[in-house]
Amino acid sequence: MEPLPQNGAHLLSPWEPGVLGLAVYAGAALLMLAAILFLTSWLGEHKPGPAKDLPYESGILPTGSPRILYAIPFYLVATFFLIFDVEALYVFSWAVAFNDLGWTGWLQMSVFIAVLFISLIYVWKKGGLDWGPESRE
Amino acid sequence: MGSGIPRINKTSDALLGALDNLFNWAHKNSLWPLFFGLSCCFIEEAAAFTSRYDLARFGSEVLRGSPRQADLLIISGTVFKKAAPMVLRLYEQMSDPKWVISMGSCANSGGMYDVYSVLQGVDQILPVDVYIPGCPPRPEALEEGIILLQKKIGSCERPARPVLHRAGGWEGTTAAILEDGYTKTRDTRGPGFEGIAERGTSLTPPRFWGSRSDLMWTPPTPRIEPTEREKSLADALRERFGDFIRPIEHSVDMPAYDVDGSRIKDVLRYLKTSPEAHFVRLDDVTAIDESARRDRGVTAPEGEGAPSSEHPPDYTLVYHLLSYESASRIRLKVGVRGSDPAAETITDIWPCANWYEREVYDMFGIRFNGHPDLRRILMPPEWQGHPLRKSHVYRATEMAPYTLEDARAMQPLDGRYFVEGADRDDTIILNYGPHHLGTHGVCRFVLALRGEEIVDLGADIGYHHRAAEKIGERQSWHQFIPYTDRIDYMNGVNNNLAYLNSVEKLAGVTVPDRARFIRVMLAEMFRINSHLIWAGTFLHDIGMMGLNFYAFREREQLMDIIELITGGRLHPSFFRIGGVAMDLPDGWREAVDAFVRIFPSRLKEYAQLAERNPIVKARTVGIGVLSKEEAIEWGLTGPNLRACGVEWDLRKKMPYAAYDAFDFEIPTRTAGDCYARYLVRMDELRQSLRIIEQAARNMPPGRHITEDYRYAVPDKRDTLKDIESLIHHFVNVTRGPKMPKGEAYVPGEVARGEQGYYVVSDGMNMAYRMRIRGPDFAHLQAMPRKIIGRPIADFQAMLGSMDFIMPDCDR
Repeated sequence: MEPLPQNGAHLLSPWEPGVLGLAVYAGAALLMLAAILFLTSWLGEHKPGPAKDLPYESGILPTGSPRILYAIPFYLVATFFLIFDVEALYVFSWAVAFNDLGWTGWLQMSVFIAVLFISLIYVWKKGGLDWGPESRE
Repeated sequence: MGSGIPRINKTSDALLGALDNLFNWAHKNSLWPLFFGLSCCFIEEAAAFTSRYDLARFGSEVLRGSPRQADLLIISGTVFKKAAPMVLRLYEQMSDPKWVISMGSCANSGGMYDVYSVLQGVDQILPVDVYIPGCPPRPEALEEGIILLQKKIGSCERPARPVLHRAGGWEGTTAAILEDGYTKTRDTRGPGFEGIAERGTSLTPPRFWGSRSDLMWTPPTPRIEPTEREKSLADALRERFGDFIRPIEHSVDMPAYDVDGSRIKDVLRYLKTSPEAHFVRLDDVTAIDESARRDRGVTAPEGEGAPSSEHPPDYTLVYHLLSYESASRIRLKVGVRGSDPAAETITDIWPCANWYEREVYDMFGIRFNGHPDLRRILMPPEWQGHPLRKSHVYRATEMAPYTLEDARAMQPLDGRYFVEGADRDDTIILNYGPHHLGTHGVCRFVLALRGEEIVDLGADIGYHHRAAEKIGERQSWHQFIPYTDRIDYMNGVNNNLAYLNSVEKLAGVTVPDRARFIRVMLAEMFRINSHLIWAGTFLHDIGMMGLNFYAFREREQLMDIIELITGGRLHPSFFRIGGVAMDLPDGWREAVDAFVRIFPSRLKEYAQLAERNPIVKARTVGIGVLSKEEAIEWGLTGPNLRACGVEWDLRKKMPYAAYDAFDFEIPTRTAGDCYARYLVRMDELRQSLRIIEQAARNMPPGRHITEDYRYAVPDKRDTLKDIESLIHHFVNVTRGPKMPKGEAYVPGEVARGEQGYYVVSDGMNMAYRMRIRGPDFAHLQAMPRKIIGRPIADFQAMLGSMDFIMPDCDR
């Protein structure tokens, strides 16, 4: 193997593009998928009937359409979770490079976490985390 | 010749045969039963899945909640005509190939329920692979049924060809649906006996020909002496209402009055609110069809104007009230006349009268003027006639057979008729039951949801209507005892006891001490049993599976004791008029003592599992709260009432059997929420254990059945010694004893609350009217509605904490 150039590229892993390997891998994956899909559809039982096409609702015929305007309190909570989850990514990457970044990095991260914490309290106090009918009482 | 026969290709046949074996091996060892139970049999089915019977050995222990994931349908219980369309749909929605096991006599043939509301064999609408006999079959019997099904799959099915898209081969259920008159007979006399008369002709109103009850003599019913309080109340009533109210002479159990229909509301309001009466609880509202009374004169000819009050009434409405302060009851009777009978509603006095009046309307066709929601409650909406009228058909075998077409045509009412606001864009209607893991029985709730919040709730009951009240009019006084076991199928002999309370009161039978103690001991064992299953399933409902396994372990220990003493498990039918069926066997004391020793430490284990669990508390504390006033107003009984802070237990306040000889307490809580209901039942387990311990320690010597054999089934040994016993044995076992004319209502405290049998005798060998008041009818009417405005998860906690059981609600 040739010696690597000294201009900082040693930080990268020694990787050479190999199209053939990728193609073989992709082909194998596709083939397997196709085989599974084919076998399940060919061997699987297909005995449709009027009752089977109906939704199961405790053995009773459902009332109305399930596609309605639906109030989802979960939506807000899910959004908050996503936001805080993405922020956590930065904390992880900082943890990996903790020794290199030193005290400066620690200080910057502390401010970042403090801001996150304040925003969490803000969301909490505004009632963004309240769940269900109690939130309107 | 020869051209039609396919050429035999030995290689491919051998290959397909090997594949058949492979597929069959896979099928039979991984059956996926649907989580589906109809009645009592399901309790034994559930026991089969627990550690003692360990169905996992056969690869089919995982019950699937949805029919899409299941391929084995175990019909465990009675198939009701109202529930049959649901059963059929579930079967059709299951994935193929699929198999059906019919578990228990009811599913096989209707069993002991040859009555208008029950389908006489599920094989009339579904193909069945394996039938398991028994009522209910033991868990081992279910295991044998599954082994038989595995054998059938392994040796009879050829699935390789259909799977590989070749002609021929078969898999899954290939049995035919049976058709009455062609492939099955519903004739109760059996094949070859067409010459003999139909069963029960001597019991056919109005003539009762062939009945020999009139030739028998009984002493008159005993009579109660009114207390001072009751005397002064009678005076007050006479003073206030004059001729509109008449005391009924010769009452057996409680003061009773005939009230004129025009003043009944005033009388009821007075009794509820006046301080000297204060009958705050409406125990029961029911009716009697008087048309088949044997002393009834000629009825008023048609077209003679309005029926006058001179004629005996066509129907009688009966109200039972209870006063907590004086621990007493009162009965009011109102005559109703005419071919289209009507009465005044009392829903404005007691809101809980709502369902009771609906039931009277459904069963008797008596209308209630001013009722907010008068429609059928138990029977399907398209039902013809009113079943408890004497003119209504009794047996299912007298009616046209229920067929596949009927099951497709008679669909339950659409959900939008049960809730308000169903047409709003943001409201979704959700059917919660009849087939649902959380309803613990075939009961249907309809939820109107806005998001997760429940904005309205309706209940549709009657999917478990086994017509026990109608059966009571056709079975002799003894023959009805096994039917009582199945009223609240978790409570076994507690039902017998509640029934016998009334019958023995009516006939004035004295029960020997030993029999009374045996009764109490067994009744408390069943109370523990019932509470144990409840605790396991309730915690399971809110996400904690653990207790189920422990609860079933202790339950099986109790079941062994019960089996040792009675010979039965779920339905021992062990009590008799005047005592119990037989004396205690050798070794009963050691078995009971072992349980008494071991159970306190087990109770500690349960408490550690649940009571310090923060999730259990978060799901139950402050959820589903009922106030003390609401609990009284809506007629709650049992632990549900005591969890609201009312210290009321019939065993203590109006003792029956031998309960006054025992030392125990009434556990109460004041919070009235799901957690309080849990704690009350847990405390009751300790109290029941105390009672069992005392009963075993102080078990008196003596007879297990009364010496007076007029009403009792005599001890078999006595029949070999004297002719009197032999005669009574012959008469009381065959046509049954005659009961003196009269009526009695003496409820007992079963695990879920107060269950009472209002028995009305017309001096025959069976009841004229058998009214059964179950605690869950009142609970189901009132309690689920307290969860409106809460998220759907709290609804499940509420349902679990109520501890209801459908046969006791629908009867």
